[in-house]
Amino acid sequence: MWTPVALSRDVPPLVVLPVVAGGRELALWRSASGRIAAWADRCPHRGMRLSHGFVRGEALSCIYHGWSYGAAGNCLRIPAHPDLEPPETIRVAVHVAAEAGGLIWVAPSAPEAPPPDPGALQPLRSLTVEAGTAAVLSLAGLAGDTLARGHLAGVEVTVAVQPIGPARCALHVLTGAAGAAERIALSRELDALRRRAEAGEMAA
Amino acid sequence: MTSEAIRNEWYPVALASQLGPEGRDTRLLGEPIRVDWAAQGRPRVRAADGREMATRLRYGHIWACPGTPSRELFDIPEADQPGRRLVDVGVVRVKCSPLRAVENFLDIAHFPFVHTDILGAEPHTEVGKYDVAIREEVDEVWATKVHFYQPQAAKSAAGGITTEYMYRVPAPTVSILYKTCPPRPGEWDVITLFVQPLEENLCEVWPWMALFDDETPMTDLIHFQQTIFLQDRSILENQLPRLLPLDPGMEIPTRADLTSVAYRRWLKRRGYTYGAQLVAA
Repeated sequence: MWTPVALSRDVPPLVVLPVVAGGRELALWRSASGRIAAWADRCPHRGMRLSHGFVRGEALSCIYHGWSYGAAGNCLRIPAHPDLEPPETIRVAVHVAAEAGGLIWVAPSAPEAPPPDPGALQPLRSLTVEAGTAAVLSLAGLAGDTLARGHLAGVEVTVAVQPIGPARCALHVLTGAAGAAERIALSRELDALRRRAEAGEMAA
Repeated sequence: MTSEAIRNEWYPVALASQLGPEGRDTRLLGEPIRVDWAAQGRPRVRAADGREMATRLRYGHIWACPGTPSRELFDIPEADQPGRRLVDVGVVRVKCSPLRAVENFLDIAHFPFVHTDILGAEPHTEVGKYDVAIREEVDEVWATKVHFYQPQAAKSAAGGITTEYMYRVPAPTVSILYKTCPPRPGEWDVITLFVQPLEENLCEVWPWMALFDDETPMTDLIHFQQTIFLQDRSILENQLPRLLPLDPGMEIPTRADLTSVAYRRWLKRRGYTYGAQLVAA
């Protein structure tokens, strides 16, 4: 089961950030060459969040002691012991990450199908809303679950929905609208939607 | 109710120089306490029911024992040595287990990454072999012969030097660091971390120092130590699990972590579990 966690555009090379998917806290990061990855947000050494770490080349390093990990989540280097070959058993739990239609998707293990492709649209923005997924979608009048579609401010939108908790979700918004005025109006409508949802307003 | 092994220890509860006549309402081991001055400048620490605890005024701080002290407050002989400046750094509240705060203080391998260009810098990341022991005669954890390259080891250090350290844990929430003293070869600067456990996941940390340094303004000494500790806080509030795991399985120690391994073993065998978790998740 794929969960959208960010717009591809918002995670450039050498960036790492925390995301939640399927109830798990993950470190989402992109290597220098552009490879996207989503790992358990915890260094196995001392439990520090890897989302506070740093990316060099194709490896993610923990900010606490600089332990670095390669594409398979295997430990490459322990700076306190530069001559030590890290044992194979030191590994970060790796999730599957993939990109489709300007979105980054993650799954706990490789699903049978590729992630949903929203088609040729432009990324607009992501926003987090302190309200449950179903309430937000019905208030917005959008239909669908993982990829919800409809109109906001008179503009056609596709929203990739990331459930984060019972009363929190993130919306990753794509649109075919190319004009600046339309995009600004849509963005403002999303702000208004967030305020209404967080104030507890329900769909009529 | 916490166990006797926990209640019979000494804990810092206030900085004497900052405790005014109005006193201080705070917490210890999850329970409210009040710290103030009784007659003749004697510190007084009371539980919510008014019961007075054993107290000491030492190393700039007021100490309390909520149970029956199992031993006298630990000694830091250097505190009385002439010529040292005693530095009250103040307090930093940290959303972490008090034990994680102590353990981090015992760790040197993080210097190049957390205290970059101050206490460490790449490529000088190697932690050489050092000695660790639980000294049975005093029931303390000691690490000695710890060496590390530092770009600016102390406020009084001008440029990079290899610093030698000794670490000492005389009580579960106290750590004392002895480090090479740039202006006074042969002596050790003393830097302590006194940790007040408010809750299992919340503590107040009181760094305190006894230094040979007649040059640096007091404000700079305090700022230096605060800078270092605020860098540590960004780590301490982001470790998972929040409680310190005393059993192996959750975390992977290496040779550089032997002080931490000894500290955890020492806590476990004395039944000190406040801020700890015993079952590997």
